Amino acid sequence: MKILIPVDGSENADRAVDYVIAFAEQLKAKPEIFLLNVQWKLALGNVKLFINQETVNEYYREQGSEALAKARKKLDAVGFDYVYHISVGSPADAISRFSEDHQIDQIIMSARGQETLTNLLLGSVASKVVQLSRIPVLLMN
Amino acid sequence: MLEMLSSAQFWVDVLKIIIIDLLLSGDNAVVIALACRNLPEAQRKKGIMYGVIGAIGLRVVLTFFAVNLLSLPYLKVVGAFLLLWIGIKLILPDEEVHSEGGIKAVSHLWGAVKTIILADLVMSLDNVIGVAGAAHGNAMLLIFGLLVSIPLIAWSSQLVLKLIDHFPFVIYVGGALLGYVAGEMFVSEALFKAIFVKQPVLFELLPFVGAVLVLMIGKWLGKGKVNTKDVVDLVDEKISATTREK
Repeated sequence: MKILIPVDGSENADRAVDYVIAFAEQLKAKPEIFLLNVQWKLALGNVKLFINQETVNEYYREQGSEALAKARKKLDAVGFDYVYHISVGSPADAISRFSEDHQIDQIIMSARGQETLTNLLLGSVASKVVQLSRIPVLLMN
Repeated sequence: MLEMLSSAQFWVDVLKIIIIDLLLSGDNAVVIALACRNLPEAQRKKGIMYGVIGAIGLRVVLTFFAVNLLSLPYLKVVGAFLLLWIGIKLILPDEEVHSEGGIKAVSHLWGAVKTIILADLVMSLDNVIGVAGAAHGNAMLLIFGLLVSIPLIAWSSQLVLKLIDHFPFVIYVGGALLGYVAGEMFVSEALFKAIFVKQPVLFELLPFVGAVLVLMIGKWLGKGKVNTKDVVDLVDEKISATTREK
């Protein structure tokens, strides 16, 4: 079973990792775990004239690694194997596409993620993933 | 001044300016953050501060420049066409440029500040022309436009991206709005006054023509282009018991 856990570095998101660790014990075979962090594509149009792609990618990589750090530590602590991944784009699009590309069986994620004002006003990433995804999505409250 | 606040037109203009500011400001904040990335910790805060102050200063200067320039003959026509183009550019999907160009983030303070100011000079132009057009010479609106754009220079970035992600039509609203303002600017050109007085219907019509033009040309030019809303993969790594031991 392939499980995708999208994380954004928030505590809410990381609780999905705790859940998967507990849940994995009830499965016959150890699940394959995929951690995914998606960075918003900040460098558009004009920005690219002034900042080279290498610098931009480094920035995404650094931010992504930071967002993944706590979730990875949790999995390392229990000795689970996993794949981690950083994508750049719109989070919900990237999550649903990743799940298709890697034939994920289930997405497990926080219903809220980062509790920023914009997320409160515009709706969470989770609600859009539910719309887009063709596989089961488990939302944690 | 109080009469102005109670007119519907004033509030419509305020709304226009907010939309233009929102859609044409975010890039500055990104450049400031990225240009200062490679600076040592202590200098980074300074770099960001100088960058923000420089960008705001430049925005103010450019705005007043633009307003004065737009009062010269013919330049409103030039401004109108620029606005049309800015509107079209806004709708066009962002093209992936694989140029080796662009400036590598430098590790000294003044290099970073120079990059920021240079980028602001280019990137603020869109915003300044848009706001100057929408304010049509009203000083209060102009200052309001500046005030709205300042926090966006300093922070913004993800706000606008999220907004567009949730409501993709915002881009088209913005493009059409810029086309509309371009039309308004065109009809306010003093040289054409004689024509427009005879055909007052053009006053009403041309802004809409501008909006439709932007949407049509934008759609048409954007046809064959790949939308880089597509996802880019950056890091992919497997961690297992064996890799962990290393």
